Amino acid sequence: MPAITGGPGPYIYVCTRMRVRKAKLIQKDEYQRMLNMSLPEITRIIGETAYKQEIDELATSFKGIDLIEVALSWNLAKEYQKILEITPGTLKQFTRSYLRRWDIQNVLTILRGKTQGIKHGKIKEILIPAGSLGRAMLDKLIAEDSVDRIIEALRGERMYPVLAAKIGEAKEIGSFSKMENELYRQFYADVIAEAKSGIKGGELYLSFIRLDIDVMNIKTLFRLRADTFEEDPHEMFIAGGVLTVNDFVRLNVIKDHGEFIDALRMKVKQKTLVSFLDELKEKKKVHDIEMSLTRVQLDQMERMSKLHPFSVHPILVYLEKKKYEVFNLRALARGKESKLASERISEHLVM
Amino acid sequence: MALRDIKPTRSELINLKRKIRLSERGYKILKMKRDGLILEFFKVLTEAKDTRGDLLDKYAKAVETMALANTVEGAIGVKSAAFSVAEIPEIKLKSKNIMGVIVPEIESSKVKKSLVDRGYGVLGTSTVIDETATAFEELVEAIIESAEIETTMKRLLDEIESTKRRVNALEFKVIPELTEAQDFIKMRLDEMEREELFRLKKIKARSAA
Repeated sequence: MPAITGGPGPYIYVCTRMRVRKAKLIQKDEYQRMLNMSLPEITRIIGETAYKQEIDELATSFKGIDLIEVALSWNLAKEYQKILEITPGTLKQFTRSYLRRWDIQNVLTILRGKTQGIKHGKIKEILIPAGSLGRAMLDKLIAEDSVDRIIEALRGERMYPVLAAKIGEAKEIGSFSKMENELYRQFYADVIAEAKSGIKGGELYLSFIRLDIDVMNIKTLFRLRADTFEEDPHEMFIAGGVLTVNDFVRLNVIKDHGEFIDALRMKVKQKTLVSFLDELKEKKKVHDIEMSLTRVQLDQMERMSKLHPFSVHPILVYLEKKKYEVFNLRALARGKESKLASERISEHLVM
Repeated sequence: MALRDIKPTRSELINLKRKIRLSERGYKILKMKRDGLILEFFKVLTEAKDTRGDLLDKYAKAVETMALANTVEGAIGVKSAAFSVAEIPEIKLKSKNIMGVIVPEIESSKVKKSLVDRGYGVLGTSTVIDETATAFEELVEAIIESAEIETTMKRLLDEIESTKRRVNALEFKVIPELTEAQDFIKMRLDEMEREELFRLKKIKARSAA
């Protein structure tokens, strides 16, 4: 395949390809059918679709549901790397920066696994190399002797400054939670800086990131309130959305649920989020709220992708929907394995 | 106690009477102890039934939330979050005395943790991990409570068994044997007294003749 360079032609080509790929993803009615199937039938279907190659490759190392889950994750990582290969110009830059969040997840898993003395093989099983750090780099990190050497090996990567600054505190308190929160906060700060740097298409990318940040902050607020968290929540706030840090702190301490929803509604401008909040006058379980927020976010992304058909939006929509296809198939398989009722599994699918 | 081994003397009789008094006193006290232990046992039994029921409920809930967590986050996500828990709960073992039986008193700390103390970042995980962690923390607390109560129950039961055996031994063996020996000695002493009286009469009659 010839290299795709910048200009409108390649953008149209890539965005069209994303729409074609998106159309091939599993649709809602197929999920409904799969909900009524048994586990062997579901695994057979997964094994006969786009995931066949990974299942065949991994069949010697894994079996049962673990094989399905790891194969799904590998397929997701491969697909993301393929998208990065074919994406041209600034779209590639935005896509790569967006996928860096997987690097954070993988590096934290390696750091925690090393701290707990988990075997290399076990750590490797749960990595998903869907970001900029490829399999070879992740293997190299796992092979390092200590946490300090792992961090040193990441010198030059975007996350290195935060890791180097926070590792001392993490070792002292015996927990990577603060470092993890700071890594994600810095990730979003970097992504926003990139979007605002004057690169063509940055404004549209920024609108997606702001939506993502608003949804993250709202999910975090609901979670903190469910835990009746009364300490300073600054560390869990992501800047760049519609809420300021003072809004976040103030909203967290509102005791009454109705008052909280009203106050949040006043701050949020996004129409779909506002109508979503209107439905929350009645208290619901936090997990249901999270799932609903995810669906609202995907719907809004779909709208943005239709409004701007030859931008970064179709790519991001496809990446998210592919992620949720993997998520849904894994949920179906694990849910059936745990003998959960179909209605229960259905509540946790993003369709 | 074989009767032929008993010396039918007054001093032996006095010893036996003392032993019988002591055994009967001990029998009464042990009976009271046995009854008291049984009362305490039934109190603990009621509590143990409740905690065992609570434990089974919490276990079922923990298993269910784990199944949901595996469904939503996948085993990969759950394992990754599980790696982050570094702090082990602290258990302090003390003891207390229930009617002479030493039973454990278990104090635990750092079992239940807040959202930020669990070791995983809030921004990289979802609420289903919180729910699973909470469910297992509650299960661990229930296990600790159950361990204390069920160990107490077991030790009380052992002590009740031991006391019951001693009460029965006193009631059906020791005291009856002592009483039997006492009766034997009394009978022999009476007999010896009668023989002595008869001998004296005979001697008196011979000397008179």
